[in-house]
Amino acid sequence: MKKLLNKSMKAFVLYAGIVLACSIPAYYAIVDFIWEHELKEHNRIMSEATRQNLQAMSLSDTELNEAVLLWNKLRPETQLQQVETARPDSTYNIYRKNKYIPSKGWDRFQGLVTYFPINGKTFRLTQEANMEESHETIIAIAAVAFVFFMILLGGLIFINRKISEKLWLPFYSSLQKIKTFDLHRPEQIRFEPTTTEEFEALNHHLEKLIDGNIAVYKQQKEFTQNASHELQTPLSIVKFKLDLLYQSKPLSEEQSGIINDAHRSLSKVTRINKNLLLLAKMENSQFNGKEVIDLSALVASHVVLLEDFLEDKQLTVQLQLAPDVSLSGNKVLVEILLTNLIMNAVRHSIPEDTIRITLTPARLEISNTGAATLDEKLLFRRFGSSSPNTTGTGLGLAIVRQICQLHGWKEQYLFKNNLHIFTVTWA
Amino acid sequence: MKVLLIEDERQLADSIIRYLSGENYVCEHAASYQQASEKIELYEYECILLDLMLPGGDGLQLLDEIKKQHTDTGIIIISARDAIDDKIKGLQTGADDYLAKPFHLSELSARIYSVIRRRKFQNSNILELNELKLDLLAKTVHVHQQEVILTRKEFDLLMYFLGNQNRVISKNALAEHLSGDVADMLDNHNFVYAHIKNLKRKLGEAGCDNYLKTIYGTGYKWEI
Repeated sequence: MKKLLNKSMKAFVLYAGIVLACSIPAYYAIVDFIWEHELKEHNRIMSEATRQNLQAMSLSDTELNEAVLLWNKLRPETQLQQVETARPDSTYNIYRKNKYIPSKGWDRFQGLVTYFPINGKTFRLTQEANMEESHETIIAIAAVAFVFFMILLGGLIFINRKISEKLWLPFYSSLQKIKTFDLHRPEQIRFEPTTTEEFEALNHHLEKLIDGNIAVYKQQKEFTQNASHELQTPLSIVKFKLDLLYQSKPLSEEQSGIINDAHRSLSKVTRINKNLLLLAKMENSQFNGKEVIDLSALVASHVVLLEDFLEDKQLTVQLQLAPDVSLSGNKVLVEILLTNLIMNAVRHSIPEDTIRITLTPARLEISNTGAATLDEKLLFRRFGSSSPNTTGTGLGLAIVRQICQLHGWKEQYLFKNNLHIFTVTWA
Repeated sequence: MKVLLIEDERQLADSIIRYLSGENYVCEHAASYQQASEKIELYEYECILLDLMLPGGDGLQLLDEIKKQHTDTGIIIISARDAIDDKIKGLQTGADDYLAKPFHLSELSARIYSVIRRRKFQNSNILELNELKLDLLAKTVHVHQQEVILTRKEFDLLMYFLGNQNRVISKNALAEHLSGDVADMLDNHNFVYAHIKNLKRKLGEAGCDNYLKTIYGTGYKWEI
């Protein structure tokens, strides 16, 4: 993923590169053209001067021959030769090896050939001028273009940074705030005021969206808690009335059975209600107290506490507890977590089964025998695995998950070697 | 023995009064902070049952008031607020016990019995009932001056029955008493039966009369 600013930056740099690259041949063509034009003019002037001077000197034939000989020796860039017939003037552009300084290699010359008469004889004058070689021109121009490209690039990066620091600052600050926002721990987000219209609009709408979400979330949480509280009293009334009914005489065995069944269902409702309340309280962060818990001792004492149920089903518990495992957490919640996990194993075990509880410094593992794997997604969801025919509320494992989330631990279900394995990892 | 019930919900109050009046309790009722405050000023009670959520004032404040005026009254908080904080605050302020709604009436009765026992017989924690003699502090039981060794749960059950004499108690209530919240997570409560069987056997072997009757197959009653 690229940053927004880098995206536009890339396009700018690419464009600048292309323009500068295209400028190299253009500059070369212009420079070369001007140069050639100037040299042609220079040659023309020189040729004309030579012609006029020679014609004005009105030398004799002998003198002329001597002068031409001397001329050709002294001025290597020109050549004066007698020819049969005059032809139209012409120019040429030629590369030639340097005769006098071989290390210079090839040189480029611009030449002009003119014809004029002296003493009735036709002379051909070749006037040459040294011209910069094409590749040298190109290299020089390319080097300059590259230097400017680098300056441009550096400038773009610098300006880009300045822009991102200043112009986009409110945007990044808003982004940071949204990143740290957590609906479970809602703190009112207030964005920094900005003078940019778009950012102001963005912040305003984000604030509205977040506030709306917080309000709805709060309402929902409060609703659960209020509903659970409201249910406590009628539940108590029903329970009391059943208790009173149980005292009335005469009561047949059938009636007593009905009362018992009613009690049993009432217990389930009560328990669901309590668990919903517990979940709501956890969501409302009403469990803040943390202390260091001696988990080894707590697990051991919990198993003793539940021994009635173990005996009832004739279950064996294999305890493997590492000594002195301690953990920072809310003691009430950790006790609930242990109860829920162990009771979950007890309830789903067949009689005379073995439950294994393993505690290491990093995790707690509770397993019982099972036939087939269970759906982990449903398992930890509220009412995800409840069934009408059991006393389970379908909330026990959801509570386990919530407690783990609250403490930053990880809950996990695995099915291996015909074992349902529930693991809580904290390290 | 006089008990004051401070509870604003009419139906709940009626049920509690009805259940308790069958025992040896005289039960008075206050439905608001004001009423409760007046009654506390005027009368002495063995035990006060206090609902924390009251119209006209905070229950915890009332608790303070009671503690100042009646140092030897037993106080049991009965609250729909199952908040740990309330429980701790209540017990720290001087309540003897805390019961979260909903609970079984037999549970309440047993708690009242225990609290009054503890308050009344501060010096001698001995409870005598015909041939039975219980030491509440040492948690020992004697039948005809001969010690019967009971487990902690069996002793708990015995106290529970004594707090609910001549009442039918359901196995449900006993299971909840013995195991608290965990009880209703299980489909059957056979473990209650096992403990009661042991208690009956131990008392019977020591020569105690059979006061503990099984009623309707699923309930129990301590008959005297």
